Amino acid sequence: MPDELVFMMGNFAARFPADRRYTLNHMWLGAQGTAMRFGLSAYAIRLLREIYFLEWSVDAGATVRQKDEIGAVESSKAVAALYAPADGTITHFNAEALADPSTVNKDGYGAGWLFEINGNANDTMEPAQYLRYLETSWTRAQALLKGQAAQ
Amino acid sequence: MKMLTVIISKSPGQDPRKHELEESILAALVREPDVVVEVMPHLYDLGETDGALAALRSVTGPLAVLAWLYSRAIHWTLDRMGVKGQCGETQLHRADLENEKARGNASAPDAPSRTIWSLNLRDGDDPSMHIAELQRILCDLRATTSGTVPTTSAIPKSEIRNQKSEISLHRWYPVIDFGRCNNCMECIDFCLFGVYGVDDAARIVVENPDNCKPGCPACSRVCPENAILFPMHRTPAIAGAPGAGPDARKLDLSELFGAPAAAQLAADERNMALARTDKEAKPKDDLDKLMDALDDAKL
Repeated sequence: MPDELVFMMGNFAARFPADRRYTLNHMWLGAQGTAMRFGLSAYAIRLLREIYFLEWSVDAGATVRQKDEIGAVESSKAVAALYAPADGTITHFNAEALADPSTVNKDGYGAGWLFEINGNANDTMEPAQYLRYLETSWTRAQALLKGQAAQ
Repeated sequence: MKMLTVIISKSPGQDPRKHELEESILAALVREPDVVVEVMPHLYDLGETDGALAALRSVTGPLAVLAWLYSRAIHWTLDRMGVKGQCGETQLHRADLENEKARGNASAPDAPSRTIWSLNLRDGDDPSMHIAELQRILCDLRATTSGTVPTTSAIPKSEIRNQKSEISLHRWYPVIDFGRCNNCMECIDFCLFGVYGVDDAARIVVENPDNCKPGCPACSRVCPENAILFPMHRTPAIAGAPGAGPDARKLDLSELFGAPAAAQLAADERNMALARTDKEAKPKDDLDKLMDALDDAKL
């Protein structure tokens, strides 16, 4: 198995390390002690471009359910709400990314992680599965982008 | 002779283009002899103990505030801070202001006669556009105050220096547009967190802003007059945008990140905030457990 898989977003090669799993809302997750660490996938980061503002609407220690709204992000191109990718307790938010959101652009799979959850993640995907998911969702994402841009 | 105080309220984020725009406007204004110009942290995040807020309140003359918020949000955020005045006309949004005036409600009923111009820095990347607008305002002021003594005094520097660090805490609370509010009390009935109260004149007020649940804009959705603003909400209509048109400058990608396909209902948002609050509540004591056991017992 290669170290990473690549998905072409137009001419941009989005890279997905094979050492972790991915969620339906475009985050990666990896084990961090007994908790799971989450960050944005290269696909999400490419859609957003430069991230300037990151804000969490829950505090560390909060119990969340998958799909709960937990924060928001603003970038050079877009705004978006962020949703919990798993059920459980958010044990940590990455203070470095909060203080300087460009860390997410610089090192999204490393220092630019977002938060850690102690709990259960359902519906996560192997990298290859995630790539197939991107293939089906890419058309819809483009339609959403073009539809809004045309407004 | 200073005729106008200009406040540049900085962006809460780290967008270099925003900081560049702030700097360019500042550089142009410091050369303007009739203007006192000051830079402050993000207006909406200012707390009661911020030196910048005391400085703002000390300005009694004509005031122009440039911030990364919709004009209506700037005006009513200032109003709730006790910085009141008549809504100044701007060329950039003349039609919107006239619409509000047609409803008879551009300013609060108790606002003093001095004018406050609220300018949205998101209206354009070009500093010259904002500078030209400020110069137009100055021209109008010179024309109307000729022969009289200008009313603006310098802000004490110590007040500004006393401000919090650059990365201050981000706040979240509703701002009431008292030009629109008809005191119907839907919001106080709907909110479960004690954010709202009434003043001595039985008028609705945001009594406990910090009881508000970050991210929850539900009361704004139930307000029949669209008089409740959450200036930092991503939905332009809730953040105080003129009309209900989307912010053409940025896309909303929430759907890609897992937003429900249907529009979120106000009750869902409120209940989610409530559920969070319950989880934060202290564990039940023994008496509660006994009561629960009694409730569950099949008698």
